[in-house]
Amino acid sequence: MIIKSNVVSNDQEVRNLAYTADANKKFQKELNSGTAALVLLSILARADEPMYGYRIAKFMEVDDENVPMMKQGALYPVLRSMEGSGLLESHVDPSVSGPPRRYYKITKSGLETLKSWTKIWSQTKAFVDGILKGKADV
Amino acid sequence: MCKDVNEYLAKLKKELEGCDSALIQDALSDAEGHLRMALDEALSDKSSLSETEAIASIIEKYGHPKEIASAYRAIESRTSPALAVSRRKETRSFLARFFSVLAEPKAWGAFFYLILSFVTGIVFGGWVMTAGIISLGSLVFIIGLPIFGLFLLSIRGIALLEGRIVEALLGIRMPRRPLFHNRSLGWTDKYKALVTDAYSWRALLYAFLLFPLGLIYCGVFSLLLFFSLCFITSPVFELVFHIPLDLFGDNVFTPVWFLPVVCLAGFFLLPLTFHFAKFIGKVHGRFAKSMLVRK
Repeated sequence: MIIKSNVVSNDQEVRNLAYTADANKKFQKELNSGTAALVLLSILARADEPMYGYRIAKFMEVDDENVPMMKQGALYPVLRSMEGSGLLESHVDPSVSGPPRRYYKITKSGLETLKSWTKIWSQTKAFVDGILKGKADV
Repeated sequence: MCKDVNEYLAKLKKELEGCDSALIQDALSDAEGHLRMALDEALSDKSSLSETEAIASIIEKYGHPKEIASAYRAIESRTSPALAVSRRKETRSFLARFFSVLAEPKAWGAFFYLILSFVTGIVFGGWVMTAGIISLGSLVFIIGLPIFGLFLLSIRGIALLEGRIVEALLGIRMPRRPLFHNRSLGWTDKYKALVTDAYSWRALLYAFLLFPLGLIYCGVFSLLLFFSLCFITSPVFELVFHIPLDLFGDNVFTPVWFLPVVCLAGFFLLPLTFHFAKFIGKVHGRFAKSMLVRK
């Protein structure tokens, strides 16, 4: 009987862990979908010259090695969509060492958007931090 | 677990089944470019590493086919091609719908595309005929082979450019990235792949057909626009400036009682022209997609 109850509790624990892992993954995914465009705008605004997808992905890897923000492959559709909205512009250049590369550059409207999104991000971050640290009265 | 880039691409293609074919082509192109670049870098950094070992860690960072397919699906559902309009239930009357076509960017885009196809048809079709004949003729010499290869590559460039025009003006999703061949292939294999790829020949046929189609589109729609405007302005021209419309023969004025009918006909012919342009634009867009997107 005792053995059976141990098995049941172990099963429950495994299910809880799996649920937590799934929930974490989902939470991370939702956060990423909102912040990816801001991160990409910021990287391209700081870049001295236009960057192609692979370089941006490598840059993000170096910038934040411990916590991979999002899968590298998910950057490409975001870049395309930002180009479609006029935040970025791109051109294709042939490469000596491989396939042609699409180089992205931030536009004037992208820079303006980055400024306002940075402000919104700071406000959101301050609000969430405040709640998490218990500064605000509940 | 994928053993190489080709296996990854095959799985990604399967995961994207049911999506727009242009989106699939773009997603595969992005993935292939990224994975091959990463693989080259990994193998040159650590020569002791096998391709299978290297690809496993690269895919871990890039994302598994299922994750990447869902990322593309999610973004694509939020970004519709230029001029594409959302489907909403139509509640306006028939007349309102009939005349409102003149305020629809999609109708203007299609109309402009059909007029522009006169120029693109001449440029693209002219290139196919002149450069095609020269490169085919040069095939009798050994130097003709690379010339013919370059000609086929130029056709791919034309296909990409035409795809961008079609997407911008007709609102049909088309590929946004050029196609490329595996860098590990030798020159002979690349050449073979270029010549045996049905896509190259479909693009060639499309560029050729655009020549007569452009002439027909531009001729028909210029005439329709001309007649609509003539009919609408006929009372002003005939009664104020005394310039006959010549509906009933040389230098014969339209009877005054008939002028309102002619003017009204013009007001109906103009939106009708735009409805027709929208329809032809839609049909041509489908045709372009079937010819210029790799299957």
